[in-house]
Amino acid sequence: MSIRALIVDDSSVMRKIVERCLRQAGMDLGQVSEASNGAEALALVNENAFDLILSDINMPVMDGLEFIRHLKELEKGKNVPIVMITTEGGEKSVLEALSLGAKGYIRKPFTPDQVKDHVIPVLRSQS
Amino acid sequence: MMVGAEILVPDQADPPVVTEVTGMVGLAGELCGVLSVRCGKHCATKIASKMLGVPVSEAASNMTDAIGEICNMVAGNFKAKLDGVQDKCMLSVPTIITGGDYQFSSLAVGDRIELPFLFEGEALWFGLEIRS
Repeated sequence: MSIRALIVDDSSVMRKIVERCLRQAGMDLGQVSEASNGAEALALVNENAFDLILSDINMPVMDGLEFIRHLKELEKGKNVPIVMITTEGGEKSVLEALSLGAKGYIRKPFTPDQVKDHVIPVLRSQS
Repeated sequence: MMVGAEILVPDQADPPVVTEVTGMVGLAGELCGVLSVRCGKHCATKIASKMLGVPVSEAASNMTDAIGEICNMVAGNFKAKLDGVQDKCMLSVPTIITGGDYQFSSLAVGDRIELPFLFEGEALWFGLEIRS
């Protein structure tokens, strides 16, 4: 089954890199949507179905932690697995993201293998 | 290594400072300051090309975004290496300036270090201005 993914990052370059890494990891990607902050991502989640969300933390308008809080309140979003991809490597940010419902955490810079190693188990646990 | 390419320390003491693209990320909290990356447009385009895996000719429109992301990653990793401070220090989103006719002044009075590197033969400067 093709995976419908949402990539959330204020950097368009990083969004493209994440998508490329997912493809290089051999994932069967279907629709890939992009948002540049949490607010844009929430609007997309309200209108589309996703199997996976990868999100940065440090973003303008609405950051990744606030995004998870709102996402988990949405009927269409509360069960979508979310993996954080960010430079914010502090223990506090990690614990907060995980406590809010993030399924994993990838630190930038990353390799396609690291993306694969974090994302595949998350998708398997959902199926 | 940076974006799959080797980063070298230049032989000559001071390679020419080419400031056409400047990325900055602010640090705030127990540690205040600014981390900056400066380089020429061609260097920035090459970095974008490497990051995206596309030819240099197709990467120009992504050069500012690429420098912002490099700046963000360097600042994030710098912060992560600081024991006891990383959770008490926040990063701003990156700011990018294109053009070289400007002067940079920070309100944070502290230490400043700026180091040159070569990315595929082109000068790239990493700067850190910090006050604890």
